[in-house]
Amino acid sequence: MSAKTDLSVPHSTTSRSLLRLFKDPLIWLIVLVFIVGIITSPYFLTPLNLANAIRNSAAIGLLSLGMTMVLLTGRIDLSVAATMVFSVIVGVTITTQIGAVLDERWIVRGNSFVGPPMLVIVITLLAGIGVGILNGIGVAYLKVASFIMTLVMLTALRGLSYIFTNGAPFYLKGATFDWIGDSVYLGMPTGFLIFLAALAVMLLFLKGTVAGSRFYAIGGNEIATMYAGIKTARYVVAAFAISGGCAALAGIVLTARLKSVEAPLGGGYELTAIAIAVIGGVSLAGGIGSPWRTFLATLLFALGLNLFGLWGVSTSYQNLIIGLVLIVAVGISSIRQRMKQD
Amino acid sequence: MKNSGSNGANISNEGGLSMTHFWQQNASILSLSVVLVALVAIGTLVSSSFFSLENFKIILLAVAGTTVVALGMTMVVISGEIDLSVAGTAVLSGIVGAALFDTGSAFIVVSAVLAVGLLLGFLNGLLVVWIGIPSLIATLAMLGIARALANTVSSGQAAYPDNLPGYLWFGRGDLWGVPVPILTLLLAAILAITLTRYTAFGVKLYATGGNAAAATLSGIRTGRVKIVTFMICGVLAAVAGILESARLSYINPAAYPGMELRVLAITVLGGAALVGGSGTILGTLLAAMIIGVINSLLNQLGVSIYLQQVVTALIILAVVVPGIRQRQVAK
Repeated sequence: MSAKTDLSVPHSTTSRSLLRLFKDPLIWLIVLVFIVGIITSPYFLTPLNLANAIRNSAAIGLLSLGMTMVLLTGRIDLSVAATMVFSVIVGVTITTQIGAVLDERWIVRGNSFVGPPMLVIVITLLAGIGVGILNGIGVAYLKVASFIMTLVMLTALRGLSYIFTNGAPFYLKGATFDWIGDSVYLGMPTGFLIFLAALAVMLLFLKGTVAGSRFYAIGGNEIATMYAGIKTARYVVAAFAISGGCAALAGIVLTARLKSVEAPLGGGYELTAIAIAVIGGVSLAGGIGSPWRTFLATLLFALGLNLFGLWGVSTSYQNLIIGLVLIVAVGISSIRQRMKQD
Repeated sequence: MKNSGSNGANISNEGGLSMTHFWQQNASILSLSVVLVALVAIGTLVSSSFFSLENFKIILLAVAGTTVVALGMTMVVISGEIDLSVAGTAVLSGIVGAALFDTGSAFIVVSAVLAVGLLLGFLNGLLVVWIGIPSLIATLAMLGIARALANTVSSGQAAYPDNLPGYLWFGRGDLWGVPVPILTLLLAAILAITLTRYTAFGVKLYATGGNAAAATLSGIRTGRVKIVTFMICGVLAAVAGILESARLSYINPAAYPGMELRVLAITVLGGAALVGGSGTILGTLLAAMIIGVINSLLNQLGVSIYLQQVVTALIILAVVVPGIRQRQVAK
């Protein structure tokens, strides 16, 4: 909506950016959800409930951040949810294989994984980034439309996930997974803190470095950027790699919470991630959007869902409301844009 | 000159409208045909039971529903838009039809199903054309809304059209020895080919997707073209819902997960570019047959359904990538 201003005043003073913060309709919507929540439910403002709400936002938020990166370059990544699940499964599978080489049994009775979690996490991240790089190469160098490339990737990864797991879930045991999934610091779950860290890194990168600004340039006018001597293909690959990395991180956060991973997990999350990014003002055409507003949209989404849950609204109505919010939010902004043009 | 003149000219020399374009399309159809023939040849060599009327019937029955939707999707993609709501449309229209099972009239049920499909397509069109929401978002939202409504209307319960022989006929009956779903697919395909190739609407459709501004200047009401296209896609999604639910004798509010992506894969494999203006119904039909033959082949080889997914994905990529390269070189 007002995301356009983000770029035009990149070096504003603190007071001005504070002012801009309060002009953001997303902030007011979040405040509104808080007010309605406090009035309608005695449980809403309890630390436990808020921690739950934001804990559930971490995985989908990380996916949306990755999606934002790719959308900024004018591409789309439909494979985020499949990558999220696939990379964790690869992490567990390869670690188990390494264990077999070392004569250790890391998959015990009932498909429980008891091997070293750090190894799983590292391999998971590498797998996610690897998938992203493959997507990027397909899009930037083989010139496959990103929609198709990542759609094909989604199909392939879901199939591979089933093959690697034989259709059964892996159960994740270990203190590290418990720590990521269950710990709370200052009212904030570890998963959410990881999400915040990723957001901070991405904000610093996009707004604070020359390389970051080039992602906006590519989304704004790719040909001009290319003529300016920037190797755009590399940046496109980087955007997909970041998205893959975010997806892997989301996978770690989500599966550590669930203490298990199975192939069909997170089906349809890719569409929710697009919806969140777009509600956050990211343009599908590229060049417009900010991780910060994607973060706000994620919070709005998570708190709204939490409130519906407290009200006892069934999940099917939740989808209805998300759909309507999406239409109204994007509808208003496109009507406003059209009026501006006229 | 602006209005009727150029419009009429467009229609009269449809073939010459874009000669290079025409050849590109034919090249893509030629390569798809080669792939299909090669696959059938491999199938015949690998399995003795592959090359039989019975097996082809099974293959066609398996892909009939998806292909019918893919016809609609192809038209939407040609117009430069996308429709992610097809699964929602198929489910909601089916559930509304299921609410009318008590009337005991297959005619009423089928009419209601088609009407809901038409209506949802119309709503998609309105959101995209009038309000200006990108179709990816509008139809994504519509997918969520339609699924939610289907869940609400049905209270999450499946419905069984067992007492409606007229309805079941669409999935299980046959006419002159040909199963009704295959006949429906044929009919839809003939209509779609006629519409896109031999009518003024078809010319407008390609013009709208190819260059909307130029189309508007030459007097084409691109918005109206897009709305009609979305409505066609909605109806075809509803038809697919009828075919599938009648075949299974079962309407489930959670049915067809991921259908939109499968249909899109077929459409893209068939040569339609998502930027609009290109793609053919014939290409989509060939692509659907390719997917059907691959699945049948892999089934007969005893390949697991999950590995099939991976193989299908790789084949799509293998077919799509060289095509794109060729076009790049041609430019």
